Amino acid sequence: MATASGGSEFVDKFPDEAAIVKASFLIAFVSLGIGAFFGLIQALHRTDVLRVIDSADYYTVLTGHGVLLAIVFTIFFLCGVFHWAIARSLDRPAESALFSWAWVGLMTTGTVLATVAILGGFVPNLGMSADVLFTFYAPLQAHPIFYIGLAMFIVGTWLSGADWFLSYRAWRQDHPDERIPLQTFMVLTTMIMWYISTLGVAVSVVFFLIPWSLGLIESVNPLLTRTLFWYFGHPIVYFWLMPAYLLWYTVLPKLAGGRLFSDPLARVVFLLFLLLSTPVGIHHQYLDPGIAEGFKFIAMTNTMFLLLPSLLTAFTVVASVEHGARQRGGKGYLRWLGALPWRDPAFTGMALAGAMFAAGGFSGMINAGMNINYLIHNTLWVPGHFHLTVGTAVALTMMAGSYWLVPQVTGTKLYSRPIGLLQVIMWFVGMVFMSNAMHRAGLAGIPRRTAEPQYQNFEFLTPIGSIFELRVQIALGGTLLFLSVVLFLFNILLTSLGEESDRPVDSYLPEPLSGPEGSPRILDNLAMWTGIAAVLVVLAYTLPLAGIIQNGGGLFGGGLPVPATVSAGFDLVMTTVTSAFNTLWGVVA
Amino acid sequence: MKLTKARALILIAFSVPIAIELRTVAGFFNVELPLIAVAVIEFLFLALLFVLYGLYGEGSESAA
Ligand code: HEM
Ligand SMILES: [Cu+2]
Repeated sequence: MATASGGSEFVDKFPDEAAIVKASFLIAFVSLGIGAFFGLIQALHRTDVLRVIDSADYYTVLTGHGVLLAIVFTIFFLCGVFHWAIARSLDRPAESALFSWAWVGLMTTGTVLATVAILGGFVPNLGMSADVLFTFYAPLQAHPIFYIGLAMFIVGTWLSGADWFLSYRAWRQDHPDERIPLQTFMVLTTMIMWYISTLGVAVSVVFFLIPWSLGLIESVNPLLTRTLFWYFGHPIVYFWLMPAYLLWYTVLPKLAGGRLFSDPLARVVFLLFLLLSTPVGIHHQYLDPGIAEGFKFIAMTNTMFLLLPSLLTAFTVVASVEHGARQRGGKGYLRWLGALPWRDPAFTGMALAGAMFAAGGFSGMINAGMNINYLIHNTLWVPGHFHLTVGTAVALTMMAGSYWLVPQVTGTKLYSRPIGLLQVIMWFVGMVFMSNAMHRAGLAGIPRRTAEPQYQNFEFLTPIGSIFELRVQIALGGTLLFLSVVLFLFNILLTSLGEESDRPVDSYLPEPLSGPEGSPRILDNLAMWTGIAAVLVVLAYTLPLAGIIQNGGGLFGGGLPVPATVSAGFDLVMTTVTSAFNTLWGVVA
Repeated sequence: MKLTKARALILIAFSVPIAIELRTVAGFFNVELPLIAVAVIEFLFLALLFVLYGLYGEGSESAA
């Protein structure tokens, strides 16, 4: 891993890049503030603790919450992190600052358009709304401005990836024989995965949703837009997670006082995510009619394979942190935990985020199981799960990472470490309350995505405690979480307004214990891995998509029928695959 | 090992999920804990932590 040579700080060495990172973070944090406020409104509204909006406006708030947090906050922040990581690990500025500003500008314009369309939902008679939730598939329909904004945002992320690939190409010309620096490797593999997966959502938005919202086509095939969404909707999970992993692998060990355990293992993990994160999207559609059970089974199997890189990560990161604790004088089987730098909010926040991610992983395995999924499908369990993953493993890591990253791009010292520590702990406690109660409420059958989770003549039952307690826990947890975001934004604002310092933070990153030298060079062959990933996607999706188009009344729903030749060929393939599958099944079972 | 403010905060943080799920664990052994019992146990834990902090804490800690 190339390290920023001691002395000169990131902001002095790469002023243009620091400005891009600052701009990305700024938009991310504004979205975080608004999104968290919407989250508080929802948490208090659904639990009937405090109602400031009309229930009819709930979907406007919920769409704003999902889009601003899960799409805008996370992606703008990760663009900042990636831009920082590329410049520092390749030790060179971007090829063109103008180009970098172009993608920031495009993504920002897209965000503004989509947000305006969403907020338009609050103004009756405006004729503009986008109450389609952050999953935006048919049959819910938004104003065209929403989809156009979304498309601009996605194209902006494509350009950002191009920016980083250009930097890499220029670096490669100067360093023909060197291994790709680890952080750059992580950014590039993540972006390849993103290119493959956003193709699905781009097709859905450009060919179906935009023409449909403009009235150019009469109908869409809803199952097709759902499937195209989830083709992208699972990989986006890893798009959120990879920047958190980048920080856990390359920064957390240093904060803990040690160094990364193994560089090659980190590369293997990122490659596995590149290969496996796309051909699993159908696991979000276990209950969709119109997709054969066999395809769902394949998606489930692939999903379970994804546990492997997650467990490898848990092992590597914990081993690196333990190494750090022992460097600091930690002893014993468990006593070393006490030797970790708990006062440092960057370390503590990331460590707590990792701990909660383990819990999120367990509830995720329930989601992933085809049969037990039926127990919790579309209940409050699901938001309970993903507030642990994207809502904490990712969001808390990003906030904690900010305490270390922001000083590097502003050149000012962190305003307050104790407030930072209080903030990350408050997030942890708030999320324990909210997420635990959401999981339990889901087991009791309480639905998600509704302002009024009550039914007439029906009482939800809990095995332990009462529904009332769960409601209180959700409201209390949501309030703590919101206050935590307020503390965070306050701390970051005062940091950026602080006085410039020569050494705002210790930004040196040590080399891993076991470097890339001994590992096979084939790990760095990005073209080959991209090819394999593409083949897996084709294998996993061709037949289901063909089936959806054929049985769902064509590409545009009620519209064009599928030509007979395609249909006949498809039947043949289907019969062959089904009989092969049945034979295989006969052997296995 | 000194009980610093940061360590005390971490212990408090981890006591919350344990307290919340205490009734489930008790349920495995057919013990029905009422909510108030959980509140009392958590309160006792916090009180104990305060005492320990008073005895072994860093006293006038400055650079927390
Ligand atoms: C202030 C902290 C937060 C609070 C109080 C909060 C609260 C909530 C609640 C109560 C729901 C469920 C609404 C329903 O199904 O009826 C929800 C949904 C959701 N939250 Fe959060 N949340 C917070 C932070 C976050 C963060 C940090 C993220 C992601 C980075 C996030 C992403 C989501 C998403 C994607 C949904 C699902 C929206 C949908 O169903 O379309 N939330 N949130
Ligand atoms: Cu998924």
